[in-house]
Amino acid sequence: MTSNQFMFLLFSAVIVIFSILTVTSRRILRAATFLLFVLVSTAGLYFLLKYNYLAAIQLTLYAGGIVVLIIFSILLTSHISEKLPTAGLLKKWPAALVALVGAALCIVVILQYNFPGSVVDTEVVNVRDIGNSLISYGEKGYALPFEVISVLLLAALIGAIVLAKKRKD
Amino acid sequence: MSAESLILFFIVGAFLVGIALLFSSIVPPTSTNPQKAEAYECGIPTEGLTWLQFNVGYYLFAIIFLIFDVETVFIFPWAVVMKEAGIAGFIEIVIFFFVLGLGLLYAWKKGALKWE
Amino acid sequence: MLMLIMRHELLLVLITVILLLVEIFLPADRKQKIILPALILFGVVMILGFIPGPTGRLFGGMYITTPLTLLMKNILTVGVFIVFLQSVDWLKKEENREKISEYFILLLSTLIGMEYMLSSGDFLMFYLGLELATIPLAALAAFERFKEKSAEAGVKLIFTSALSSGILLYGLSMIYGTVGTLYFSDVVNGINGAPLQILAFIFFFAGMAFKISVVPFHLWTADVYEGAPINITSYLSVISKGAAVMILTILLFTVFSKVAIMWKDVVYVTAILTMTIGNLFAIRQKNLKRFLAFSSIAQAGFIFLGIIGQSQLGMTTVIYFVLVYIFSNLGAFGVVAVISNRTGKEKIDDYDGLYRTNPMLSLTMMLALFSLAGIPPVAGFFGKFFLFAAAAQQGLYILVLIAVLNTIISLYYYLLVVKAMFLNRSDRPIEYFKSDGYSRLGLAICIAGLVIIGIYSPIYEFINQFTFGIY
Repeated sequence: MTSNQFMFLLFSAVIVIFSILTVTSRRILRAATFLLFVLVSTAGLYFLLKYNYLAAIQLTLYAGGIVVLIIFSILLTSHISEKLPTAGLLKKWPAALVALVGAALCIVVILQYNFPGSVVDTEVVNVRDIGNSLISYGEKGYALPFEVISVLLLAALIGAIVLAKKRKD
Repeated sequence: MSAESLILFFIVGAFLVGIALLFSSIVPPTSTNPQKAEAYECGIPTEGLTWLQFNVGYYLFAIIFLIFDVETVFIFPWAVVMKEAGIAGFIEIVIFFFVLGLGLLYAWKKGALKWE
Repeated sequence: MLMLIMRHELLLVLITVILLLVEIFLPADRKQKIILPALILFGVVMILGFIPGPTGRLFGGMYITTPLTLLMKNILTVGVFIVFLQSVDWLKKEENREKISEYFILLLSTLIGMEYMLSSGDFLMFYLGLELATIPLAALAAFERFKEKSAEAGVKLIFTSALSSGILLYGLSMIYGTVGTLYFSDVVNGINGAPLQILAFIFFFAGMAFKISVVPFHLWTADVYEGAPINITSYLSVISKGAAVMILTILLFTVFSKVAIMWKDVVYVTAILTMTIGNLFAIRQKNLKRFLAFSSIAQAGFIFLGIIGQSQLGMTTVIYFVLVYIFSNLGAFGVVAVISNRTGKEKIDDYDGLYRTNPMLSLTMMLALFSLAGIPPVAGFFGKFFLFAAAAQQGLYILVLIAVLNTIISLYYYLLVVKAMFLNRSDRPIEYFKSDGYSRLGLAICIAGLVIIGIYSPIYEFINQFTFGIY
């Protein structure tokens, strides 16, 4: 086993275990903390693939920003300390069965597919390339999505403020 | 970053944290009693839960922070190639800034940046 | 002037920015006056949209307009204009006065998203447009946030749309994994019906089915429709659904045309399920918003009959039906909105004896419901008839038979409402009131649309000339 494979297995194991913990935990704040591990391990996978910029974004945005936001919104609710009731067996088993069968189906189908050629060593994607394709407006350029994202962010900002602002009285 | 350096990173990290924990449990004098485990509340026994409902302001700040955080994700690659991008790249980023500047202005005007 | 190709979106962005600037710089006590200028601005944009202009590709094929997508955008814009007209009364209420321009801005940004989605030339733009069309809607569904039901509707909408986006993205990632590109024109060539691609398609379809609220992905619909402010409900059930149906039809006919044998089965089963379950649940509803929610689920099932045709006829009938559906559903929701805003009554029983007190509203409602049910000579009849014809052309007689049976069931519950309004007597009927001018204008446009489309047949021919060569 190469060191690359070892790290891949380590990160994947962390992701799988903590994902399961996230959805099975009955305390919502703990679930958020478990989610943090999942997101950080995903960043690790990106590092392995040498997607350094993406990994950095994953760490700052997801691990740094979104988890904090999730925790804030959990703390906003008034029932933080309460434990969620555990689901009954009648719900648990069918749900587990469906999840397992679905996962098995996906895995089998993906493994079956004959992916053409494998890349031996991944190239480092540097920020310069990302920047160039982000502002290029020709073929394979991402200028339009880049501008539309600004409108999306604006709409999200306005929506958030409309919902969260206190009533004036 | 190669896998080896990641492994090394993890080993060094685990080692440093482990050492710190180990030292702090061995070196200082220890005494344990139930009062020590309680939260400090000017000497009076604590009542109720420590969980309390947060002000919605935190959430609002967090989401505004996050939106501008996402914005930096897109601005950073542009900044790297700014010189070679030329006028087209400049116009694109100006539009981007303009739209999000409007968002900031809106948030400001609505008092979302003010702590209440 | 290459940018003229993108004129629809650019104009909408422009008026959104103008509205935002006005919102920022206008003093708080004059915010109410923004309604009329906003409506006029949007009306101008709507009319400008009908002026023929250049079509083509921009940004290396990431953005494509054809006469067909322009037509779709114009249809959606007209629908949004009617929604705006109908919401003026509600916006003038005390509790909404602070956020009038936000309402316009958020709704306009969803429209921008839909237009980008319709014009997308690759899956990235498609997804971005889809998100831009859903995220502001969640904020709008929770607009009356101090009402528990409205807040609940917003939360349910954002959760289901996040889940469906996740499923959709998973499917798209599989397609990207097998094909190595996101551009529609390249994806078409790469799709060969491998099991992984079929799985990818099913995930993609499931994601879209959430947005169109097709059975079995419809469970969020009734709760969200009931809780959201009524104008947002009508927007969700008409504009959002119409846009999603249109882009799904385009993608099925073009990108996934090579696996048509497979997706036809999927559409076949979901069409039957959607029609039947939507209808059966609609019978039991007492609240008009929930009733219209289930009726709109059933209508989505009928639309699938046109999609399954996978022909020029299919495309034309889908667009024609969506056009008719916009007018009929907005007519029905318009009446419910007016009555709900004035009296707060939303139950079917409350409508007993409405004809005696408010004859005009009752007649409008009746016409809209007749159109939804498909009774001639209102436009809805032709919409359904063409859909059935498109499916029958493919030899799917069993499907058409089930659809006809469902139409008869739907006739029953639509007529229940009509019966309540015209025949039932009530001790305390809804009192007479004069509805505001904007709502009346909106309803008048709906009725005019229904009657004109029903009687004036060249409209069908008009749509038909755009759909040539789509598949």
